[in-house]
Amino acid sequence: MFKDNQPTNETETIIGPSVRVEGDFITEGNIVVQGAVCGTIKTARDLKVGPKSKIFANINAENATVAGEVQGNIKVNGRLELTSTAKIFGDIRAETLILAAGSMLNGRCQMGNQKDRSSKPDFSKQSRLELQPTSNQESGSDSATRDALGKKIKK
Amino acid sequence: MYYYLYDSCLNQKKYNNLLAKVETRLTDLGINGKINYLSFLKNIEQILQEEIKRGVKTVVVVGNDRTFGQTLGTLAGLGVTIGLIPIDKSSQIAKFLGLPDGERACDTISSRIIKKIDLGQINNCYFFTSLEAYGPRLAIEFDNNYLINLENKKSLVKICNLGCDRETKSLPDDGQFDVFIKDVKQKFWGKKEISFSRLTAKMLRLTSPQPLPIFLIDEKKIIKTPATVNICPSKIKLIVGKNRIF
Repeated sequence: MFKDNQPTNETETIIGPSVRVEGDFITEGNIVVQGAVCGTIKTARDLKVGPKSKIFANINAENATVAGEVQGNIKVNGRLELTSTAKIFGDIRAETLILAAGSMLNGRCQMGNQKDRSSKPDFSKQSRLELQPTSNQESGSDSATRDALGKKIKK
Repeated sequence: MYYYLYDSCLNQKKYNNLLAKVETRLTDLGINGKINYLSFLKNIEQILQEEIKRGVKTVVVVGNDRTFGQTLGTLAGLGVTIGLIPIDKSSQIAKFLGLPDGERACDTISSRIIKKIDLGQINNCYFFTSLEAYGPRLAIEFDNNYLINLENKKSLVKICNLGCDRETKSLPDDGQFDVFIKDVKQKFWGKKEISFSRLTAKMLRLTSPQPLPIFLIDEKKIIKTPATVNICPSKIKLIVGKNRIF
């Protein structure tokens, strides 16, 4: 996936393996990072982090595929995919998360939307049920039901 | 009103036949105008400024990329339409603009497909296609946001306003530069590992501890670091062909 270095129409920004970027990297298009970034990465579209790349930055993207090392928080509006070589040291927030076997995640993880959380039911108005009746009441009710069942059978 | 600026090399005898054909075709199409031959003694800026004062609306350069680049720099922002009649097939700008060479370019000039195109500016000097700079220890600041330090000696930085080859494609009407960084690392047994980066920016600042040369590809000129490169959107009006790359 990351071996193809040739630019295409879809890929707008490529940071090659020998390039080190320092500062706030903010673009509107897709980003492929194969080198090192220190600061902030922000894009309105997709981000791909190559297996040999090292990112010391907070990431904000629409969708992201991470195969390298990230030291910082990741906030993705859509899908976040961590491949088997991914190492994350920071918090994650994504709508959908895909974790491959072997990927490393050290940090808090938040998925989905807070609105999806169901409201807590109000138990205070509910009348208390007596689950363990007394022995006298039990014997009386039992005899009444037996009588009723016996009459039905005779009929 | 058309004004034709002939390159100094067109004084050579080998171009007589070509020029005769071009002039005949221009007359046939009804777009002939005043002709001026450039020479070492004539200053291109002075000539063009005088002609604009006289009311010239269209300047057509008959010549190579270098003369075209000089003309663009002089006429930038003056509202004059610029055309090119390339004299041979070596013109890169003609390929990008979709212009055929020789007398066939007269038909393209006549059809007048006009596009507003961005120009690059490096330290008050305009450029049309691209700039090239080589490392080492070259620092490039992008849009006052982030910085890239090139440490490899064989790093090549290409800042393109217009360009198209196997590795790069840059469009001149998108309001931004495409910056390509090519790194070559020598491995064992003579193997070379080439890595490629592509970034976009509207403003760049190139700095280095020692002055490094930056090559202007159009005018074959050298400017040294530190330099500031800006994009000037829709700065010139160009006559382009149907087979243009953008």
